[in-house]
Parts: sequence; C-alpha cells; structure tokens
Amino acid sequence: MVQQMAQVGKLLIGLWMAGVTIVMFLVIPQYEGLGNAGRIIIMHVPTAWVSVLAFAISAIFSGLYLWKRNPTYDDYAVAAAEGGFLFTALATVTGMIFSQVVWGIYWNWDPRQTSIFVLLLIYAALFALRSAIDDVQRRRQLSAVYSLFAFVTVPFLIFVAPRIADSTLHPNCVFIQGSTCDGITLDVGKIGLLGDRKIQLIALEREGDLVTAEVIVSEPGLSSETTLRPSFNLATGTMADRPEFPGVRYQLGLEYVDPSITSGLLNIEAPGTGVLDNRITLFTFLASIAGFTALFFWMLNLRANLLGLQWALAQRDGGRV
Amino acid sequence: MNPEAFLEAGIAIYVAMAVALSVWLGIFVYLWRIDAQARVLKRELERERQREQPASRAPRATVKRVSSPEHEIVEK
Repeated sequence: MVQQMAQVGKLLIGLWMAGVTIVMFLVIPQYEGLGNAGRIIIMHVPTAWVSVLAFAISAIFSGLYLWKRNPTYDDYAVAAAEGGFLFTALATVTGMIFSQVVWGIYWNWDPRQTSIFVLLLIYAALFALRSAIDDVQRRRQLSAVYSLFAFVTVPFLIFVAPRIADSTLHPNCVFIQGSTCDGITLDVGKIGLLGDRKIQLIALEREGDLVTAEVIVSEPGLSSETTLRPSFNLATGTMADRPEFPGVRYQLGLEYVDPSITSGLLNIEAPGTGVLDNRITLFTFLASIAGFTALFFWMLNLRANLLGLQWALAQRDGGRV
Repeated sequence: MNPEAFLEAGIAIYVAMAVALSVWLGIFVYLWRIDAQARVLKRELERERQREQPASRAPRATVKRVSSPEHEIVEK
C-alpha cells in the first residue's frame, strides 16, 4: 500500500513539473523589460532554494552519523550533498542564461556568481575527499565532519555575501523581499562603480522641476564609453527618464538629487520589479518550489538506497566500496 | 525547413518549451527506471538473505551418549 502510494507520488511529481514547465512558458505573463528571459526565475530560484535545503539535510545526517554511527545516515548525508551540488549547478547555469540575456555576458564574477562558484568548489572538495580515503569508517567520519563545516559557509555564501557587496547586478531588489539596491551618490565630476560598470557624473542640469544628469558609463573592461542622461523630477520626488545601459536591459536611474544640485544618487533599475505581484506568476513560482522540493526528496531517497545497495553487494561479495 | 524558422519570435517560445519538456521527460524516465531497478535489486538481496538465514536459524540438537544407549540427553 505504502509502495503504491509512493509510486503515485512519483508519477504526480512528473506531471506536476511538466505542468509547471508548460505554465512557465505559455501562461505566465512576460516581465516588463525582460521579455521571455524573465521566465527563468521559475526554475532558477527554486533550484537555488532546494540546494540550500539539500546542504542543510546533508549536515543534519552528517551530525546524526557522528552521533549514532549508522551507515545509513552517511548514505543520506552523501546523497543530500550530491543533490545539493546538482541543484546548485542548475541554479548557476540558469543564472548564467539570465545573465547573458540581461547583462550581456554569461559570467562576469559578480559577487553572487563568485559566491556560488566558491560553494560549488567547497562541495566538490567533499566528493574529492571521499574518493581519496580507502578506509570506509575513516571516510565516513571525515566526510561527516567536513560536511558540517561546509554547511557553516552556506548561509554566508548564499544569503550574506551577495547582499553585503555594494556592486552586484544580481536582481536582489527585484525578487527578494527586504533586499535593497543602494546605488551610489556622486558629486558632479566624481567617478564611482555601479554593478560592474564605472560611471562618472559629468553634470547636473536643472530645467524647471526636471534635473537631468549627464553620466559617462564605461563598459566592463573599460572597452567603450557611453553617455546616458537619467532625470529626476524635483516636484514629485520621483525618477523621470531611465535610459538603458548599452547592450543590457538594466536602466540607469537618478533616484535623488540634493537641493543644491551638486550631487545625485544613481542606481541600477532592474526591470521586472514587482514580478511576483502577479498572482499566476506567484502561484507558478510556489508550485515550482514545491515540485523541485518533492523531486529532491525522491532523488535523495533513491540515491541513498542505491548507496546502501552498493554497500550490501560489496559486503556480500567481499569487495570494497 | 530553414532551421532559423525555429527561432522566430512566435515559435521560439514553443521550441524552448518542447526542449525543456523533453529534458524533463528524459530525467523522469531515467529516475523511474533506476528506482524500479533498485527496488528489484533490494528485493532480490532480501530474498537471498532469507534463503541464507533458515539454515543458520534451524533448531539445533546435539545428542550425547551418557551411560547406555537407552539414556539420551537432548539439548535444544
């Protein structure tokens, strides 16, 4: 009975994820400024979420193994770490696709990209460690300890590091509640860094209530320069014209101008702000998170069972794992 | 048919969806089959273990000759 229910559950995961894929492409509306590229959020964020969950589960089972010394806990710890690595890689790849469309480049060592790369390296080292130790007991113990230490870095690398970095193009302020893109306040003539672009505020010109900034924006690598003219409405206290950065879909906004018109707050404006305000998008997003989580647990159980079988077969045949 | 026709604005979204669905279908079938094979293997291993166990768990008895052939002590 339990097995039949599990089979039905697995079939449901298949249908659920197929449904999420169809809705992602055909039903949810396009994002303002991002077009179809923005749909990737339905895959990108849930895979990143599942990777955090997987690493947490790996750490829990590692702790349980060190406590109880039950080999099954080690199987689950490894299976969860492998799942976490796989989903982190998926989040990285989907992020790179988004990056190519929106930033114009697959990889530019943005703080978010760098931190996820470091995370991948940390868990790749766990697998290297396991494969380097022949003694089974020692391998299990060391990898459990390593896994616990590795998990300590996860919250920092995924949640903290990218948020404390001033210059990130990752659209935290679009998709993640509580995140802010602070921008940079420049005096006229000064140079600063916004995302991965050098900017220089050349002038601020007032015409009635409208203040227009003349900003020279350098491409990453300083290969070329463009002059952009964002503006700010003093009467309403809101941004007016927001020109796009050359070659990408992010805009340069003049968010504030000081009363003496000598300095202005410049910021990257990510298109698609409020993307999850749309009900269909929000529900599809939540459905995707649920689907990926269920898929992960299926994979976790399957992989742990396979590791257990591998061990049982090796024991029977007198071989080594 | 021109391959670039697949990348036209109206069609590209369906092509992308078809690719994503095919990838998912492939992954699902792969997982399903491995799952089924693992179940079969687990069952076989358990059966094998049960076949081995009856011999070791069978009631054991030793017969000791004490003084004469009429008196026997049976230990279970």
